[in-house]
Amino acid sequence: MKSVPDPDYRRSLFYPATVLVEEGAADYPLTRSILSRLKKAEVVSVKRPAGNDFSNLSRLYSPQTTLFLAPHRGRFLKACPGTAETYRCCLYQILHLGLGCNIGCSYCVLQGYLNNPFITQFVNLDDAFAELDTELGKPGVFYRIGTGEFTDSLFMDPLTDLAPRLIDYFGTCKNAILELKTKSVAISSLLDYPGEIGETVVSWSLNAPSVTAREEGFAASITERLQAAALCRERGYRIGLHFDPLLFFPGWEEGYRQTVAEIFKYLKGDDIIWISIGAFRFMPQVKDVLRDNHADCNITAGEFIRGLDGKQRYFSEIRRQLYRLLVTEIKKYAPEVFIYFCMEDKCLWQDTFGYAPADNAELGRWLDECCWRYAANG
Amino acid sequence: MDFMETRNCRLSEIDFTDRSFPFSFGEISQKLIESIKQVGLLQPPLLQAAATGYKIVCGRRRLEALRQSGVDDVVVNFFAVPAGQIKELFRRALWENLAQREFNPVETADIYNKALEIFSEEELRREIKPALKIPGRERFHKRYLAITGFSAELRELLAAGIIDLESVDLINGWNDSELGALIELIAETGLRRNKLREVINRLDDLARRDRVSPCEPLAAACASVRDSDGKIDINALRNQLKVKLYPHLTTAREKFAGKLEKLSLPADIRLESPPDFEGGEYRLSFSFSDRRQWQDSCDKLNSIVLDDIDEICSRS
Repeated sequence: MKSVPDPDYRRSLFYPATVLVEEGAADYPLTRSILSRLKKAEVVSVKRPAGNDFSNLSRLYSPQTTLFLAPHRGRFLKACPGTAETYRCCLYQILHLGLGCNIGCSYCVLQGYLNNPFITQFVNLDDAFAELDTELGKPGVFYRIGTGEFTDSLFMDPLTDLAPRLIDYFGTCKNAILELKTKSVAISSLLDYPGEIGETVVSWSLNAPSVTAREEGFAASITERLQAAALCRERGYRIGLHFDPLLFFPGWEEGYRQTVAEIFKYLKGDDIIWISIGAFRFMPQVKDVLRDNHADCNITAGEFIRGLDGKQRYFSEIRRQLYRLLVTEIKKYAPEVFIYFCMEDKCLWQDTFGYAPADNAELGRWLDECCWRYAANG
Repeated sequence: MDFMETRNCRLSEIDFTDRSFPFSFGEISQKLIESIKQVGLLQPPLLQAAATGYKIVCGRRRLEALRQSGVDDVVVNFFAVPAGQIKELFRRALWENLAQREFNPVETADIYNKALEIFSEEELRREIKPALKIPGRERFHKRYLAITGFSAELRELLAAGIIDLESVDLINGWNDSELGALIELIAETGLRRNKLREVINRLDDLARRDRVSPCEPLAAACASVRDSDGKIDINALRNQLKVKLYPHLTTAREKFAGKLEKLSLPADIRLESPPDFEGGEYRLSFSFSDRRQWQDSCDKLNSIVLDDIDEICSRS
């Protein structure tokens, strides 16, 4: 087994000063295990928040330094919210195990979506696995499932130790693939995992180095992410890469070229199961929130139009320029790698690739086939 | 409040400069002055004893109107308030005002800022903010703090409804010279509310995008849209800012207009691009009221060369 060369791989990006434990959550093994790793944190028991309670709690406990542990009462497995059918979505499934992260990306649309201001970990894991047992038992359906939609999959994994449990579970699944998406390098539990890792994909969100430095808070640098990706690949994980959100800024061409070149210093085309691309988009009401939270940030002050789904998107010509450059650059290094767009119009597919999925189901199938092909080729 | 007493006082004994109870801001209406001239004051203002003379608790507009009418003697309700009961007096004045009228944004801001000194966080959340219709989020707190710090000119524009509250959030970070340029623009053009907000929005976006002062895009746009008399054409100004903010979209629209012109469609047939060129679906429409008109339109459409349609739909 590969030894972990960098202490950062063992470090959580989040060490809360306070842990709010919702009544009924204290007895779950995950709660006990997290609290055992946070000996110095103040632990406060709270009732199940309702109404304005989250707002009141956030006056008493800073959301930046507080972790909220609670059982999740809804469904754990949800269809990715995606967007209107006018844009192509890949029919991804989200395993909803937590909310929020402390990386602090200026462009994070979660800032405008979540009414719970605290980084939240759901602790009733057995309920999640029971639901997965039922759902994944359906014959003839293949699932691509990720945990990195409403949170970062690994940013506090050294505290939760969730990744190995998920790998355990999905390692034996024949009809599902797990994707862990992150901007961190907290991969020690992945590297140390002793068993068969099955079809688990570890994915990194990438951007131009200047965007990472300016807009991505505490995230690891691009080079650090790719070094971590190389270690994960060496350990046998499939690697996914996500260029989302692409930003249009002075010098964008050089910035994205640099990142693509950097990828292939650490990975070969064959190491990568898929690369997704999506230009920055946001619901109109999120603009004020992003500006409130990041006063100096100018990413919403671009040439945005109202998309067919009601979201603000770069004017299509700008997206076309972004996509063409990125796809051309990637194909120079890895002509065979599968690249797809996240929530994009079929015209942009056509203009960039010369083909477009007929509908969401077809795009979903293409990605499913990637998983099978990859599995077959090892 | 059983310590209230009704008595006569002279206006000269009242300190009009005191803003301990900042419940009104803005012009006194001529209607109120006229009403007082005709029938006098129907409801006595509320005053509080100050070190010398009186402070106005409630009824500043009525007292101002009296002063402007040349009256000096007035019947008032007087409160001798023990120290520590200022909160009750403030609350009474707030609700009495609310029963009569809506506050303008400057009044709301002044009252809120004063209330911040007097009330606990819990009282603010439960009573004062809902009474003043101030939502709980931090941005609204900042908005009303900012208004109180604005210059007298800017406060007048807000109180008069020329600048709206959404614009306040944008100009909150502007410095004095940037705000001065905006006030000058308003004075010169008469821009107000929605169109003004649109201009402020675009200036703010341009300033952020290019990391410059909003004065720069404003000065550049104004210079290019002055007519021969040196006046600013408001619509040209709005368009100029739009072109600066949306260069690619503007080019695409110009290209499409050129292609459309080349197509020489008759006036009764309308071909529209996709909204903001998103989605790739063009829309064709024509109107008809009988079979002949229908046939005419179809004939005209059939005469269009298909290569020209390719040209229209081309995204390059």
